[in-house]
Amino acid sequence: MRRGTDLERLYDEHAQSLYAYLLNFTRNEADTRDLLQDLFIKLARDPAWLAGIRDERAFLIRLAHNAAIDLMRRRHVRERMKENLAVEIISPFAPSGDLDEQAFRAALARALAELPPDQRTVVHLKLWERFTFEQIAEALGIPLNTAASRYRYGLDKLRERLRPLYEEIK
Amino acid sequence: MKPDDFEQKLQRQALRQIPAEWREEILKSANDAGTVRRVVRGRPRETSLPNWLSTSLWPHPKAWAGLAAVWVLILAVDFSNRDRSPVRAEKSTPPSPEVIVELKQQQRLLAELIGSRDARDADRSKQSIPRPRSEHAEILMV
Repeated sequence: MRRGTDLERLYDEHAQSLYAYLLNFTRNEADTRDLLQDLFIKLARDPAWLAGIRDERAFLIRLAHNAAIDLMRRRHVRERMKENLAVEIISPFAPSGDLDEQAFRAALARALAELPPDQRTVVHLKLWERFTFEQIAEALGIPLNTAASRYRYGLDKLRERLRPLYEEIK
Repeated sequence: MKPDDFEQKLQRQALRQIPAEWREEILKSANDAGTVRRVVRGRPRETSLPNWLSTSLWPHPKAWAGLAAVWVLILAVDFSNRDRSPVRAEKSTPPSPEVIVELKQQQRLLAELIGSRDARDADRSKQSIPRPRSEHAEILMV
């Protein structure tokens, strides 16, 4: 029972963040669901994973990130074999009733999709998870300076890409 | 580092919500997988020989297989080196009369020798006088 309760707690506390992160990374809802389910299955099978972990969110993000990278590698291999594979691209942002906001979110989703995945993940964690660079570095297993520079490069690209629209609706 | 206006604008963009129905599905799958794992772990050990062997040999199956092969080799070499001719209890030919006479002479000589030695020992025991232990030891050494 305790194990079930722990899983539920973990889900309630972290699933939304993991979902948004994975969706921004994969841009595919089916993949996101598979990755999320695999992650919770692993947690159920081996609850000792989280023993002694100080920052559960960062740890889970790291697990999700590694699983997503594995999936992307497999997908690249598959895509090389099947070049015409149609992949459903989905925006990581909620729909908005405001047309300007909706246009901005759509443009932002496209701009994020154009970022290299290593920049996109850092930008996501910094902006929407409000992680510090130390947390990002720990979660992604990269040096702190690398996390900061990836964020800066990614943000500059978004700024440049979205500047006209941003200036218009500001 | 304080976020600028553009960063704040990005931060305000609401992320897509996780579909509500996923919670039950994912937790059910996870709990089922965890239960299966626990059942497998908690299953009592079966005491049949194959199970016992498999559990005993599991940690290093190659090492155990190698050891078994060495033993088979040793047994094979041992069997191949054995004398295959059946052992027969052959009837020994009766000794010749000369040999019997010779043996009897040797027995008699031996009996005389033993008998004379016993006699000498008996005499020595009669002649011996009590001495200190240290001298006993010297005699024994000699």
